[in-house]
Amino acid sequence: MENNNKEKDLFSFADFDEYQSEHIAAPRYSYWKSVWRTFFKDKFTVGVAILLIFIISFAMIQPIFSGYDPMIAPNINNAAMKFQSPSSAYWFGTDNIGNSVFDAVWAGAKNSILVALICTAINMVIGIIVGSIWGFSKKMDKWMIEIYNVLSNVPFLLLAIILSYILGSGFKPLIFTMTVTEWVFVAYFIRTQVMIIRDREYNLASKCLGTSTWTMITKNILPYLISVIMTYIARIIPSYISYEVFLSYMGLGLGSSIASLGKIISQYTSFMKGYPHLFWIPVSVLATISISLYIVGQKLADAADPRTHR
Amino acid sequence: MSNNKEVLLSVKGADVAFDNGGKKLFRAVKNANFDIYRGETFSLVGESGSGKTTIGRAIMRINELSKGEILFKGKRISGRISKEEDRDVIRSIQMIFQDPAASLNERATIEYCISEGLYNFHLYKDEADRIEKVDKALKDVGLLPEHKSRYPHEFSGGQRQRVGIARAMIMEPELIVADEPISALDVSIRAQVLNLMNKLKEEKGLTYLFIAHDLSVVRFISDRIAVIHLGRIVEIAETETLFKYPLHPYTISLLSAVPMPDPRIEKKKELIVYDESKRDHSGEKPILQEIRPGHFVFANDREMKEYEAKLQEMEARG
Repeated sequence: MENNNKEKDLFSFADFDEYQSEHIAAPRYSYWKSVWRTFFKDKFTVGVAILLIFIISFAMIQPIFSGYDPMIAPNINNAAMKFQSPSSAYWFGTDNIGNSVFDAVWAGAKNSILVALICTAINMVIGIIVGSIWGFSKKMDKWMIEIYNVLSNVPFLLLAIILSYILGSGFKPLIFTMTVTEWVFVAYFIRTQVMIIRDREYNLASKCLGTSTWTMITKNILPYLISVIMTYIARIIPSYISYEVFLSYMGLGLGSSIASLGKIISQYTSFMKGYPHLFWIPVSVLATISISLYIVGQKLADAADPRTHR
Repeated sequence: MSNNKEVLLSVKGADVAFDNGGKKLFRAVKNANFDIYRGETFSLVGESGSGKTTIGRAIMRINELSKGEILFKGKRISGRISKEEDRDVIRSIQMIFQDPAASLNERATIEYCISEGLYNFHLYKDEADRIEKVDKALKDVGLLPEHKSRYPHEFSGGQRQRVGIARAMIMEPELIVADEPISALDVSIRAQVLNLMNKLKEEKGLTYLFIAHDLSVVRFISDRIAVIHLGRIVEIAETETLFKYPLHPYTISLLSAVPMPDPRIEKKKELIVYDESKRDHSGEKPILQEIRPGHFVFANDREMKEYEAKLQEMEARG
């Protein structure tokens, strides 16, 4: 009896419905929602991202409370305060002039991260604007490529030395040094990317509809480049941190009155033999920031690519 | 018979040359001459690389002419023209692209894709008017207004091609250049798109320049056909005339290549292979000449005589 009923209800006839044949049953797609969903799916990266946010906010907040200033050394004449091992009072120990290494490292990290972020922002904004116009305009390409050839062949160290003579050392001069020629690399990168997708059929279609070049850049080209731009940013933030460290290590960076990871590392290198932790602590803070920035950036760049969206 | 119709677009002695890095420019289109009358479907057929897409793109002004001119409603549209004329021409001539997967902006919603032309020319009174226009354009091509917020990758090929058609139609153009609009589509939905194009043509009084390589499709849709080979137009005639009395050996070879869905005919079929180099090139330079009213063939005087004799023979046979 039951079996019989089942067979009867197996199917029923339906009328042809034009609405149903065109209707899309899949849930609505939202680009940014899918980006975040893909990003948060990977638990390891989320862990690294939390660590990174913690380190960066700690580096921004801790120096306010410690009030660390490399020019002030109250314990310089107190031999007992020098080269203390890590303890509950001084988590990373003390250095050759009796200052807390913990305070010094975070004050240095704050400035290094700030320099990297500001330089990245400046270079990306100039580079993207110039690069996207450059990629579109054949006239501009002729002279821009010459400017690129000149600027990209200036030895960076030479430029840094000369600019530090002219401008002195400090926060603003360093940012100027790291942006005055660097933007041209971003612009060149964007130019090449734009040229790759400039002549795709959907851009020809936009041209046939009378779309202006600027609208094409903002609506057709840049949305396609989000993921490559993300990858690029993920690569240059850590490299700018190491630039800063390198320049400060060479004595061309932030100067002696401003704490920086590079200066701390160069200062503590001389105690490698007796007190290796003085060297390794700032280096591992630097490495943690760089690596986690890179991992998070790469994952964000992957997530920004709609081909990874499920 | 076609002389009393209004000429909408006229291509005169058009050459398109590309610089391929060599000493000589590569001439993709050589001395193309044809008129398109208002309200007809004019087809350009030829094999790949014959320059048919290049002609279409020259009319869309994506490719520049190196010689000759293109007239639209009697006014020159090739080369430098004023900004206002440029805007007029963009609105009146629209294009449907070959590959529906590549011709839509994947990062924009369907609403933006269709409204793009409206935004550029501000063809709407207010937001409500624009949305109404987009809804109507979607309905015209058999899509649903709810598709507005979707992205192109969520659609099938046929649906995307219909979005492409809606995008062109919303500009209310007079001439549509359809560059192989169905060759990238699945066979099962080709007829759907062709019927839609025919329906829209009747409703809106459109004129089509239909670029294709599939003769069976061309026969179904077009009023007149131009056969193009190696950048040169070799024969222009009304559809049935061309199929009944093909004159140029390339046209004959092209027609012989059309597959018939009948194994008995296919088995007996003799393929005629056209070889430009084996032809008799004696005599003066050939030009496009009118052999019967509305039937043009690319020939010199000697060939014209041969074609005339052949045509009379064919006409006698009926």
